[in-house]
Amino acid sequence: MSVSHDINTLRELKDGKLSFEKLHGLISGFKDADRFDKMVQIWQESVEWDDPILLPLAEHLFVVRKPDGRRVVKSTWGYEYCEAQENWKLHAKVFVRDTEELINEIYPDKLGCDPEWMQLREYYDPLSGTLLEVEVVPPGYPIVHDFKPDIDTFYRDWLGRPVP
Amino acid sequence: MNQFIMSMDAGGTMTDTFFVDDTGRFVVGKAQTTPADESIGFGRSVEDALAQWGQAPEAVFPKVATGIYSGTSMLNRLLERKGRRLGVIVTAGMEDYFQLERGIQTYLGYSYQDRLKVSTHRHNQPLVPRERMKGVRGRIDLFGTEAIPLYEHEAEAAVAELLDMDVEGIVVNLLFSYVNGAHENAVKEAALKVMERKGKSVPIYLSSELYPVMQDFARLNTVTIEAYAAEPSRGQFQKIADRARNFGGQFELRVMASHGGTISTEARELARTLISGPIGGMVGARYLGAELGIGNIVCSDIGGTSFDLGLITGGEFTTKTQPDMARFVLKLPLVDIDSVGAGTGSYVRLDPISKRIEFGPDSAGSRIGMCFEQGGVDTPTLSDCNIILGNLNPNNFLGGEVILNRERSYQAIKERIADPLGLDPYDAAEGVLQLFENHLRNEVYARVFGKGYSPEDYTLFSYGGGGPMHVAGYTKGLNFADVLVPAWAAGFSAFGCACADFEYRLDRTVNVATASPDLAPAAFEQGFDLLSGAVNAGWEGLRAKVKEEFAKSGVDAGQIEYRHCLRLQYVGQLNDVEIELPFQAVRRADDIREIIERFEVAYSKEFSRSAKSPELGYLVTNVLVRGVVKVMKPALPNFPLHGPEPLRDALKEIRPIYRNGKWHDARIFHMDDLLPGNVITGPAVIEAASTTFMVPPGAEARLDQHLIFHLRHLED
Repeated sequence: MSVSHDINTLRELKDGKLSFEKLHGLISGFKDADRFDKMVQIWQESVEWDDPILLPLAEHLFVVRKPDGRRVVKSTWGYEYCEAQENWKLHAKVFVRDTEELINEIYPDKLGCDPEWMQLREYYDPLSGTLLEVEVVPPGYPIVHDFKPDIDTFYRDWLGRPVP
Repeated sequence: MNQFIMSMDAGGTMTDTFFVDDTGRFVVGKAQTTPADESIGFGRSVEDALAQWGQAPEAVFPKVATGIYSGTSMLNRLLERKGRRLGVIVTAGMEDYFQLERGIQTYLGYSYQDRLKVSTHRHNQPLVPRERMKGVRGRIDLFGTEAIPLYEHEAEAAVAELLDMDVEGIVVNLLFSYVNGAHENAVKEAALKVMERKGKSVPIYLSSELYPVMQDFARLNTVTIEAYAAEPSRGQFQKIADRARNFGGQFELRVMASHGGTISTEARELARTLISGPIGGMVGARYLGAELGIGNIVCSDIGGTSFDLGLITGGEFTTKTQPDMARFVLKLPLVDIDSVGAGTGSYVRLDPISKRIEFGPDSAGSRIGMCFEQGGVDTPTLSDCNIILGNLNPNNFLGGEVILNRERSYQAIKERIADPLGLDPYDAAEGVLQLFENHLRNEVYARVFGKGYSPEDYTLFSYGGGGPMHVAGYTKGLNFADVLVPAWAAGFSAFGCACADFEYRLDRTVNVATASPDLAPAAFEQGFDLLSGAVNAGWEGLRAKVKEEFAKSGVDAGQIEYRHCLRLQYVGQLNDVEIELPFQAVRRADDIREIIERFEVAYSKEFSRSAKSPELGYLVTNVLVRGVVKVMKPALPNFPLHGPEPLRDALKEIRPIYRNGKWHDARIFHMDDLLPGNVITGPAVIEAASTTFMVPPGAEARLDQHLIFHLRHLED
């Protein structure tokens, strides 16, 4: 017997509309085996483009399959960053807070970091201007590649089917 | 002349009333609870009960000597955050009490697994929003000395602002006010001044008056709940009392309180009536034990949602002083009772990964299980297992009021449990019940053995709607001195409420230490005045308060029986132990030796003899006074004994039940038709309207002259 949640419940989960009692039940209950497929379906409904989602990658970012078979990182608003194996951050708009003045825009005086030691890198979606990710690293540190999914193995070994 | 005792329990869905006369004859009435005006449901429930005697309320009420209320309306008001609009004044800097809480309040009541999952933790919605929390500067230190004077102008400003926000009451809770209430009193003075100036008046609740005990946060919770949820109950009580008076009742309605006694509806500390449900059973068991000469009792109560366990040792139960309720830590005395497991309505599920059977933690409650089609439940429950095995009669639930569908139970068990495990549905259902009963048995054993006692010295009482069904399972192999199932098991909590004395129990934190007279005689001598002074003043003050409370009910001071208690711990340890003293004032050094001796006896019983640590010295944390007024109690039924063989008519039918992997022909009896003295040998099922008593193969049950069954395992 496997647990399965109603798709509307999962839709509310995605939109943050579940009451705490229901959310608590979801967190504490048994894992539903079909969660991935249902969530992909929900995400697919929520975007305006048609490329099928292979994997939600990060907030507002998905790996999609293009008609020619390429796997591409694409945002909710339709911006296509790069191939799935590449780091999408290299193709996003970047804003670096590396002076005291810029850091103080976010943190009150003395509560922020020393720009000699640490900087904030903000990555924005070029189409919508939405902040997607913030990196806090020492100056000169390579751009972090957060997540490099092995999509083929995930589909084959975890979902038990080939990548569509 | 015939006299009656009435007790009522206004639960979330049903209001039960219980009437017993002085021969022990009783009836139980039921009606839907009417939350807006509980007296309506009460009236209907009374009519339902007395109709069984063919009597009108007007005929019985003039002869009711005692009326006890218990109910959940106060708790619901708290859970639904529908209490009064309050303002709170605290020591400046502490205004975020309700936002920060104590960490433990973010996961109270959770399962162990959930406690470990931080993502499930959640802050409570504050009873009083941040903008109505006002800070006032000033400080009393832990010795009760004024370290910073109170800024009275800030107090006045705070009260003025709160009044402008239209508060209906003001709670004052300052640091260390339990040692010295001067600053709280000053806030009250200031408030009265402002109210007069503004021409507005709202009640003021001082923590130093209501709950002068340590731990400012738990104290604030308690005082706030008193003002927030308890105070509005007085109106409900009045309506119920009025309805009783209309029926011709002359008695004063009293309320069951968490310390195991009843108090007046006019009592100052009404918040302790918040928790009364499971306590009734313990009080009833203590009374029944005293009547039957049984001092050591394990109380076990199975309802639809939980299994509650409590111990009575030497005729007394123990009391917790920091219980939690509705996700609040409180400072109230609560009869020590633990909810340790699932109830008959608990859902049964299979972990999809490990294929392990799990119970609850949620339950179908009044919707019973899959067998109750109208209930809309979609997961099988323990009741479904009982139905398909023949243990429960689908046509006798609540005396046949609800007809259950056995086929639905069978399908659910088969599809959800049996098939995935590759088992026969009957074997699967029996396995589930065995697992459940094993779990309960382990809990029972752990409670008794964990306290250093042994089951052979205890008698187990089983009650609640589901207790008698499983009692044979969870007592087998434990060798209790006796296992008792009262014929009125389902109404035992209500019966228990009727057994409670009229009792106030008040406490106050003192925190004075003394050295050991043997190890440090000089320090012991030196500390005598301080300790005796604090204890005597504490007891005297509390006695006066108790007297005041009883005076509200017109009780004469001469009728009050005082009992003087202390809570002590070794200096530096964390858990205190309660002891009762045979004197009402400390006069001589020998009195303190007596205190120490009693403490050490109690301490070694609860922990161990080798853990005694007299070198640390002793700390008296709290002084307590219990004022008890004896009231009329229900008489135990007493009938002449008949032979062991039940009447031919008592046997209703022969029904197959599944047990130990095979079907047995079980004799089905109707409980009402059994006579005292009858002995029923298993396999048999004894059915009553509100409970079912299972006597499995290898066991026998004897009904005694008091209508109490004694269950015996023949194979043990």
